[in-house]
Amino acid sequence: MSYKKIVKMIPVEKREELSDKLLNYLLKSKKEKKMPSSLAKCFLSQWQTGGFDDEVGLAVLLEATALLEPEKTTEFLEQELQLADVAKALKEAVPAGGA
Amino acid sequence: MLLKHLKRQCQREVLDVVKFGVEFVPKEAYWKTVYYAIQSEKRGFDNLWITDHYNNRNVYTTLAATAIYTKKIVFGPGVTNPFLVNPIMTTQSLASLDEMAPGRVVLGMGAGDKTTLASTGIEAKKQLSAVVDAIAIFKAMLEGKSVTYEGKVFQVKGTKFNFKPRGQIPVYIGAQGPKMLATAGKIGDGVLINASHPKDIDYAVGQIKMGVSEAGKKMSDVDVTAYTSFSVHKKPEKAMQAASPVVAFIVAGSPNVILERHGIDLETANKIRGALAKGDFGGAFGSVSPGMMEAFCIAGTPDVCNEKISRLLKAGITQFVVGSPVGPNVRTSIDLISEQVIPHFKE
Repeated sequence: MSYKKIVKMIPVEKREELSDKLLNYLLKSKKEKKMPSSLAKCFLSQWQTGGFDDEVGLAVLLEATALLEPEKTTEFLEQELQLADVAKALKEAVPAGGA
Repeated sequence: MLLKHLKRQCQREVLDVVKFGVEFVPKEAYWKTVYYAIQSEKRGFDNLWITDHYNNRNVYTTLAATAIYTKKIVFGPGVTNPFLVNPIMTTQSLASLDEMAPGRVVLGMGAGDKTTLASTGIEAKKQLSAVVDAIAIFKAMLEGKSVTYEGKVFQVKGTKFNFKPRGQIPVYIGAQGPKMLATAGKIGDGVLINASHPKDIDYAVGQIKMGVSEAGKKMSDVDVTAYTSFSVHKKPEKAMQAASPVVAFIVAGSPNVILERHGIDLETANKIRGALAKGDFGGAFGSVSPGMMEAFCIAGTPDVCNEKISRLLKAGITQFVVGSPVGPNVRTSIDLISEQVIPHFKE
């Protein structure tokens, strides 16, 4: 499943909280080397032109955090947002261009 | 009523000239630093300064990415030095950046940190002359003509770019000592003062005025910039906790004359120096006193920070730079500054 499709599974009212948390995971992550250069450019372009609260932005964030901080991301989806189905879809998603 | 209106108008004129800058250390992957650069632009900062240390990511690659991903923020190295990077290469880098982001580039030039330079095998001799020479070469080469210059530290002979630079780029000089401060007033478009306390700004402004007067300039020709150690959070203890490691390093690197200006106990300062030298960071950070925090950083809630920034504005600064650590969480602190600090001074 693509990241855009995964985002559609997330209720709109939970997207802002998720976006905020994922940004923290990403910016505090020590696993910077796991970030593909193409995704880093995509991340910056998205931030420059829009943000991370919409579907496209959230898909970029999900792809990046699934690579850099997969455990934290799925744990937050399952434990805090009660979105076990989204967490499961994320675990099965194939990175690299999925967004 | 009229008096009140005039007073308000006058206050607005003063406040309108105040600029807010932010400093980032490119110690993490470039995309994180550029994320914060974009955020700073979106949140109303005027200037962005990227530090230049050989042991971090390269300042110019970071600035090139900043040029691509931003539209209006003014940016530059804050600060580079002429010992590690030859002035010709600095000029080339800035002229190239000015093509990428026309009119948005500034140079921050200082003498460099002797300890860091020593670790590269470079002996930073004649620091004042080196900075003066570097800036003379910088300005001359930006004219796009062949440059011959005989300085005390740097000399060039018939040096010329194979491209035409866009024109002059504002020069800010990083200064702390009396001679560098006066020189900055004399030849600089701005001065970057590493200080967070009105006592240090008062002293610096006095020295800058001498240089300005010698050059027949006006103080309004110089952007007097406080390059502070800053930390903001809604919970003051969190802001202070984030700032204390930075303050420990400032205390360790400050000359005793500056410590004495603030009534800092030299014995405690030496204890911090010793602990840092041994790598005992817990010991060093734990020895930072409230007096040290007061002297060398601006940390606390937005209201506390605003009051301290006001004191610096009264002392004569025209740009306030939010420097490391910015806050316990850089992203949320930038948002907090945008919501509760900048609007306090700008309408």
